[in-house]
Amino acid sequence: MTVNDWLQERFDIEAVKRFAAKKQVPIFYGTVWYYLGGVSLFLFIIQVLTGILLALYYQPGSATAFESVKFIVSKVEFGWLMREIHSWAANLFVFAIFLHMFTVFFSKAYRKPRELTWFTGMVLLGLAMFFGFSGYLLPWNELAYFATKVGTDIAGAVPFIGDFLIKVLRAGDEVSGATLTRFYSIHTAILPMIFIIFLAVHLIMIQVQGMSIPLSMEGTPANKRKTMPFFPNFVIRDLIVWLIILNVIALLAVFFPWELGLKADSLASAPAGIRPEWYFMFMFQTLKILPAHMWILEGEVFGVLMFAVGGIIWLLVPFLEKPKHSKLWFWFGVTILIYMIVLTVWGYLV
Amino acid sequence: MKYLILVTLFFQLIAVPMFAQEPDDACYQCHIEMDIDQDDEDRLFTNYLNDIHVEKGFSCADCHGGDPEAFDDEDESMWDNDSYLGELSAKDEIQMCGKCHSDPVFMRNYSVSVSVDQETQYWTSGHGIALKKGNKKVATCTDCHGVHGILSVENPNSKVYDSTVPKTCSKCHSSESYMAGVLESTDQYDEYVKSVHGNALLEKKDMFAPACNDCHGNHGASPPDVSSINEICGTCHAQNRDLFQNSHLSEAFLKEGLPQCESCHGNHNIVKPSDDFLNWGSASVCVECHEEGGKAKEMAGTLYQIIDSLKINLDSAKTLVERAEIKGMEISDLYFNLEDAHNALIHTRTSIHSFNTDFVRETATPGMVASEEAKTGAKAALDEFDYRRKGLFVASFIITLLALLMYIKVKQVEAHSKKDGDNG
Repeated sequence: MTVNDWLQERFDIEAVKRFAAKKQVPIFYGTVWYYLGGVSLFLFIIQVLTGILLALYYQPGSATAFESVKFIVSKVEFGWLMREIHSWAANLFVFAIFLHMFTVFFSKAYRKPRELTWFTGMVLLGLAMFFGFSGYLLPWNELAYFATKVGTDIAGAVPFIGDFLIKVLRAGDEVSGATLTRFYSIHTAILPMIFIIFLAVHLIMIQVQGMSIPLSMEGTPANKRKTMPFFPNFVIRDLIVWLIILNVIALLAVFFPWELGLKADSLASAPAGIRPEWYFMFMFQTLKILPAHMWILEGEVFGVLMFAVGGIIWLLVPFLEKPKHSKLWFWFGVTILIYMIVLTVWGYLV
Repeated sequence: MKYLILVTLFFQLIAVPMFAQEPDDACYQCHIEMDIDQDDEDRLFTNYLNDIHVEKGFSCADCHGGDPEAFDDEDESMWDNDSYLGELSAKDEIQMCGKCHSDPVFMRNYSVSVSVDQETQYWTSGHGIALKKGNKKVATCTDCHGVHGILSVENPNSKVYDSTVPKTCSKCHSSESYMAGVLESTDQYDEYVKSVHGNALLEKKDMFAPACNDCHGNHGASPPDVSSINEICGTCHAQNRDLFQNSHLSEAFLKEGLPQCESCHGNHNIVKPSDDFLNWGSASVCVECHEEGGKAKEMAGTLYQIIDSLKINLDSAKTLVERAEIKGMEISDLYFNLEDAHNALIHTRTSIHSFNTDFVRETATPGMVASEEAKTGAKAALDEFDYRRKGLFVASFIITLLALLMYIKVKQVEAHSKKDGDNG
């Protein structure tokens, strides 16, 4: 009796296999974009695993955080590797989700009946960015400290609830040891819990509804479409891509290690070159270039409101888009993408 | 608010000096008019209104006597007035200043901590002794502090402010003609400027660095005695003094009448000490007294070798640590070892004043240990760096192999599906 048979007697694995094999992945010039969801998932798994290992040694608190990270990277066996992988995979994770979102947007894969998949995906992107923001402070170094100060200041510009938001985020009026402890619990308990719920919904929706068919194939009868089975063909290809990504992360970890820098000191003056993580740069740069007053609002408040409205429109695209305005939405997406790239590059150049 | 600041600034910078209250004083009223026709250097009242005595409410008559209320009557204010002293002689000047400055009860009105021994000290100084003997070419109070524009010693514009003292002393002491027959050399200031102390005080503006008065005294200024030089230098360099005094050389120096610190380091021209002071050769200071081939050469060689070994060890540790840091390794702890080694090097350099090779070696040992620890740590970090690269190569190879195997597998699966499809 094989393991397969043993399991089959207790759980109908063949039914799962049949279900997975029934799911087809379209083969066309854009098939490569279909790997991005899997890549994001793989990077999330890496984050969970390395995060758990780092948590074995990490000690939140203004007196211990920096020292514990230093201990991890210098004394713990392969601790450096875990931290490097965690840091690099975090960046690639957000990048992969962004890329995934834009490919879904431009291929209009969010169209009926996949509105919920789009919606949960957008929430996952927001959570991933918050993961990055909260994790950035954890080493408690100078750059992270001041970047968090600036970042939470921006949250304070939100109309009506800004002050409340700052206090909730900072666990007080200033970024302090209490903020660090709060960010740690957000990063390791609250966010993972919410993320997993949305991720589960996202994945179930994909399994139930199957892969989105590109617009170019919609007119072709189902039996004439060029496709490949999700299992095992696409899954094995997915695994190959995951291995390539793993190789890239290992390479980055060894050749481009993240500096730990100096320990955060709230009394020290802010060092030059304080900037947020790259995925917040377009927003940060926008707020920087906005004039002090826009219309009846402060520039910063105007900027925050603009991003909030923009985010809601982006989230509601599946409901707002009408077929006759399809082109318009395409160019809207292109404009947003170019805007984000230009402002990000600008932010790094000045 | 902006206007308020501007008005305040106007009053502070322009209005107050413009309308500063001129003393209602007959002496001032006449002499200020006489000043107009004088050359700059002959004017009596340059900076007079900023004089600390005027600020505290003293008038001309408090020093010179006379009647300051006899306006428009020169005879009554000066010539016919018994209290009028006129221009004071050098001796009278000392006594006149001492009248207030030597009175602790009076001076307590202005500061509870002010010293009142200036006059007493002055009469013990080289200047005071010469004055007593009738030499009028000596410095008196006004020569150093100024005449009618005396500023607080804490005022940076004062002639006796820490960093201005060397220049003030040099006014007389650097003048060959003025010092003729009094002192043989007039190069003290030129030498001091080039010295480590002069550089610290005048160039680096380190107010803790000594000026002339810190070694020679202020009001009791005099050349230090051979036997007291170590105490003078020891005021700041206490450890060096103590070590030397307990060394076998201390007694020998006194016996020979050699000034202790000065014999090796010089006086006004003290330069930053070099380890080569111990290196038997042209730069060595030992050869000034000791002959070739004796025990001194052997000791100097040993001391030099101890310091040099520590220096070499520290330098190589630094190089290794920097190399590991450039490669991105976390080695910040090793900087503590380097700092320990550096501190030990400073202590070792100080310890040579004991002229005891065992003691010097003992002082250097923690530095050697710290350097070795830094080196070991840095080497481990560099090894770890190589290990990571090799590890990456192996891991990358395995991952690539796995990916290749999977690619073969997927091709097999696809070929199988195609065959099934063709057959089906």
